[in-house]
Amino acid sequence: MKIAVCIKQVPTREWQPRLNDQKTWIREADVSYEMNEPDAYALEESLRLREKHGGEVVVCSAGPARVQTVIREALARGADRAIHVEHDSLGAADAFVIAEALAAAMRDEKFDLVLTGLQSDDQGHGQTGVILAERLGMPSSTIIMEVQIEGSSLRVKRELEGGWFQWIAMPLPALLTIQSGINQLRYATLKGIMAAKKKEMKKAALPDGLQPSQQVVGLAVPTRSKQTQMITGSAADAARELVRRLRDEARAL
Amino acid sequence: MADVQRETLEVDVLIVGGGPAGLSAALRLSQLQQEKGGEPLSIAVLEKAREAGAHMLSGAVLDPSTLRDLIPDFKEKGAPLAAEVHDEDVYFFTESSKLAFPIIPPPLRNHGNYVISLNQFVRWLTGQVEAAGVDFFTGFAGQDILMDGARVRGVRTGDRGIDKHGQSKPTFEPGVDILAKVTIFCDGVRGNLTKELHRRLQLGGREHPPQFAIGLKELWEVPRDRLKPGTVIHTLGYPLKHEEFGGAFIYAMPEGQLSIGFVVGLDYKDPLFDPHMAFNRFKQHPFMTSLLEGGQMIRYGAKALPEGGWNTIPRVYMDGALIAGDAGNFLNSMRLKGIHLAMRTGMLAAETAFDAVRAGDTSAAVLKAYKDRIDRSAVRDELYPVRNVHQAFGYGLLPGMAFAGLAVATHGWLPEDLHGHPGHDRMKMLSWYYGTRDVPIDKPSNATAVDRKLTFDKVTNVHFSGTSHDEDQPSHLLVHTEICSSICGPEYGHPCTRFCPANVYEITHEADGTPRLQINASNCVHCKTCDIMDPYQVITWVPPEGGGPQYNGM
Amino acid sequence: MILVVAEQHEGKLNRATWEAIAAAQQLAGTAQQLAGGMPISVAVLGASTGGLGQELAAAAVAEVLVAENAALEPYTPDAYAAAVSAFIDSAKPAFVLLPHTYQTRDFAPLLAARIRKPLVTDVTGINGTGADATFTRPMFQGKLAAQVKPHGGSPAIITVQIGAFRADAVQKGGSAPVKKVDVQIDPSAIRQKPEAPFREAKQAVDLGQAERIVSVGRGIKSQENIALAEKLARAMGAEIAASRPICDNGWLPMERQIGSSGQTVAPKLYVALGISGAIQHLVGMKGSRTIVAINKDAEAPIFEVADYGIVGDLFEIAPALITELEKP
Repeated sequence: MKIAVCIKQVPTREWQPRLNDQKTWIREADVSYEMNEPDAYALEESLRLREKHGGEVVVCSAGPARVQTVIREALARGADRAIHVEHDSLGAADAFVIAEALAAAMRDEKFDLVLTGLQSDDQGHGQTGVILAERLGMPSSTIIMEVQIEGSSLRVKRELEGGWFQWIAMPLPALLTIQSGINQLRYATLKGIMAAKKKEMKKAALPDGLQPSQQVVGLAVPTRSKQTQMITGSAADAARELVRRLRDEARAL
Repeated sequence: MADVQRETLEVDVLIVGGGPAGLSAALRLSQLQQEKGGEPLSIAVLEKAREAGAHMLSGAVLDPSTLRDLIPDFKEKGAPLAAEVHDEDVYFFTESSKLAFPIIPPPLRNHGNYVISLNQFVRWLTGQVEAAGVDFFTGFAGQDILMDGARVRGVRTGDRGIDKHGQSKPTFEPGVDILAKVTIFCDGVRGNLTKELHRRLQLGGREHPPQFAIGLKELWEVPRDRLKPGTVIHTLGYPLKHEEFGGAFIYAMPEGQLSIGFVVGLDYKDPLFDPHMAFNRFKQHPFMTSLLEGGQMIRYGAKALPEGGWNTIPRVYMDGALIAGDAGNFLNSMRLKGIHLAMRTGMLAAETAFDAVRAGDTSAAVLKAYKDRIDRSAVRDELYPVRNVHQAFGYGLLPGMAFAGLAVATHGWLPEDLHGHPGHDRMKMLSWYYGTRDVPIDKPSNATAVDRKLTFDKVTNVHFSGTSHDEDQPSHLLVHTEICSSICGPEYGHPCTRFCPANVYEITHEADGTPRLQINASNCVHCKTCDIMDPYQVITWVPPEGGGPQYNGM
Repeated sequence: MILVVAEQHEGKLNRATWEAIAAAQQLAGTAQQLAGGMPISVAVLGASTGGLGQELAAAAVAEVLVAENAALEPYTPDAYAAAVSAFIDSAKPAFVLLPHTYQTRDFAPLLAARIRKPLVTDVTGINGTGADATFTRPMFQGKLAAQVKPHGGSPAIITVQIGAFRADAVQKGGSAPVKKVDVQIDPSAIRQKPEAPFREAKQAVDLGQAERIVSVGRGIKSQENIALAEKLARAMGAEIAASRPICDNGWLPMERQIGSSGQTVAPKLYVALGISGAIQHLVGMKGSRTIVAINKDAEAPIFEVADYGIVGDLFEIAPALITELEKP
């Protein structure tokens, strides 16, 4: 089975937002990066599927040179080889551009299964996987909790709202976007890290003329515009007043 | 976990610690390899942080002498030297004003040096090391030393995937035994492995026990015209009492960034003293308040420093191992500089290790050449003359300064060296210091109100250190007794709740009033202060599984 | 014109559909009653939609379009993308609005990819009206808010965050005409074969889905007192959660922890009981729509992010609130 996993490098969870001077993007200077968490679960799932069904896992990523760090991490955890679409502009690119860039690099490989995280922790569009599927001519299903492969078809468990789930059958090849937490992530071992250095990392060029689907015209730290309303009085009075305001003003009850 | 199957990795030289000492050792080894040719050496560097430089914190003003020797074309290679030192000042602070020193004392002169971020510098240096083909393993901590009698065979990395109750999780990965012909320990101030080496091999330190200080630092962004990049300011005096050793630094970087720091000797007598509070008080000085007006604190961190100087350097060579950098106490506390010394000792260790591996003999007798190299090097030239200065400060600020002046003038001549006392021994009990045990211990003696704009509580500050740890693991602060519930309160008033700069230690009370120690291990910033300063010496810091601060820009 | 795509399951409208209509009205300028605002059409799809068309016609919109096709049941992304694409071909809207539900997340990107038009997801605000409008959406896990302009032609597909627009703010209008529309869907082109949805007992608490949360901090003082907070939570129809120290003590399970080392939530209502508001806790809840803080200490940082604050003894305030809430 030829499995592809698409991963993204994103700022770490502890990163404090700092904006560039134009306020159209973040200041990259003091950002620390890590593998996007849902993608890490997608990678783990791909490794387990390979263990069960044989084949190879190819990790694919589109981004500036720095994303090599997370590609190497993926190789260290056990992926067999990698494809890197490298270009500086890809660090801030939107889902359309990323999906097209990946599709161009992945098309000829004719993967049987492509896994991605359900969305990225940076821009969080939640689109890249599905758009990529369409460009590769594959059906997709999103927010997947479990994957079963039988011959040339797939049965996947999709998460719905409010504690509901659904099994879906699809033919292979197909693309799935994976939900966080569906498995337990393995560590990259020392031997794995050393072996990763020798694994193939193919570079692919960014196709010309890709157009973004949207433009960030402003970025800001969300501020609370409301003033705190302090409610005074006896416990009974304050409680009554609070409930009234929550019901009538805030409509939170 | 003795019965677990472990993988083994064999290398020629293992370097524990990816700071300036370890990286310089790695780079020097690969340079020697290039120069001298022959069978390629296998070299591995272990770094506990997830990312190079993440645990690196320092002022810092770099003396570039070692950098010039290690990488002569450092400028072309893009070394991130933020600003060349231009304006320098030293002030003595009183509570409301300041006195400028008419002349900068020679040790504090920084002409020709560079203001840097050690975090950025180490990231760059790591790039140089990786480009030279050295295996750099991040996220791996050295947990145990592998020994054969008195010979160091290597290091075992920590087991991963153990839950908070000590049980293996499904992802459990046993630590790896890395065997090396020579292990170079560069595990930093109060390194957990070096501490173990001291214990097992009695490396010295009884006559001249190590001395430490804690450094607290914040990175601020202020309006760009506030201080010219390359401005270096040091202060003494307020808010410290004469019996307390320490002072502050302000280093101006480009784009309005200021490195602000406060260093306090970990040998203060007052058990109710809180170094972090002293840092807050320092910022409340009118000079600091106007300097930071309109600015924003963007990062916080803390780390201990080895202050004892030349006489506290232990035996740094043994069968199969060497010690370099802060782990060997190679820091010049007078000049407030250790990075160039860490780099120099790293290089000398590399040269020694290279010769020994090539000669096929890595015994202590051969590795002793490291000590000889150090004795002939700029390291001794610099550290020997000022070897008693820190110990002199043990007598107070004025005697210390007078002595420091004398030491500079006489190049350190003294008929007999001064002996220091371990800092934790100097902390007095409540009854001695306050004349009674009946002192309120809920607030430090130097408490001040915090406004969360200029001054901060520890919990808020710690958020800006970027530190985090997986919650589901055993606590990595090992407290070996029940003393917290019995005598520590009456004797010292639980000083761990004050000297820890990250609010790791808290005392809660049971229903019957018995104090109970609560350890918020995931706040830890890996500064080692608790391991150093606890008066009973019952706290051992061991590396957690991953995690730690993210000192971007520090 | 603006096309709103309604969401229905088994003959019932998802409430978020009304939120999407409210958003459309704001985008169109209807909400502000500007002259020359864009007309709004609401589309509802299914094998048989029953009275849903009529239900939607109560909104102040230009028309309701009903598309019934057996291939639309059960929901599949292929069928829905084909149907909405057909709508777009005939109606030629400037914008297509949908609520950002699991279902929308499944097929909207497919639709956008197929017709090669921009898709802006998880929108929390609309600035301006008509073709010049920009859209606010969260980035970096809510740490930043981005103003975004779609690029690449018409229509721009917009999905609105659940709860960002108020269903009760929909302008009602009398009755819009309800038209039946034929959509051609090739059943053989549908590649997904779904089975019936089922419910599973959730092992984990998902505070991220809770509409209201009552959270306790150190001020609750002991494990026994948590019962008081749980009673308040029940009276409010809320989930119980806690700040770090409570979970560290084991008084509530770790899954209930809110903060930088626990969960990040943004419910409609967050009541902080005896929580001081350390920054590690604030980062986990400051995105909540309405925040109530009850604390003895007037200087507690929690009051800086609260919409409503009571400085007082939670052991008096909480029971008084319960009494008030339990009144018929």
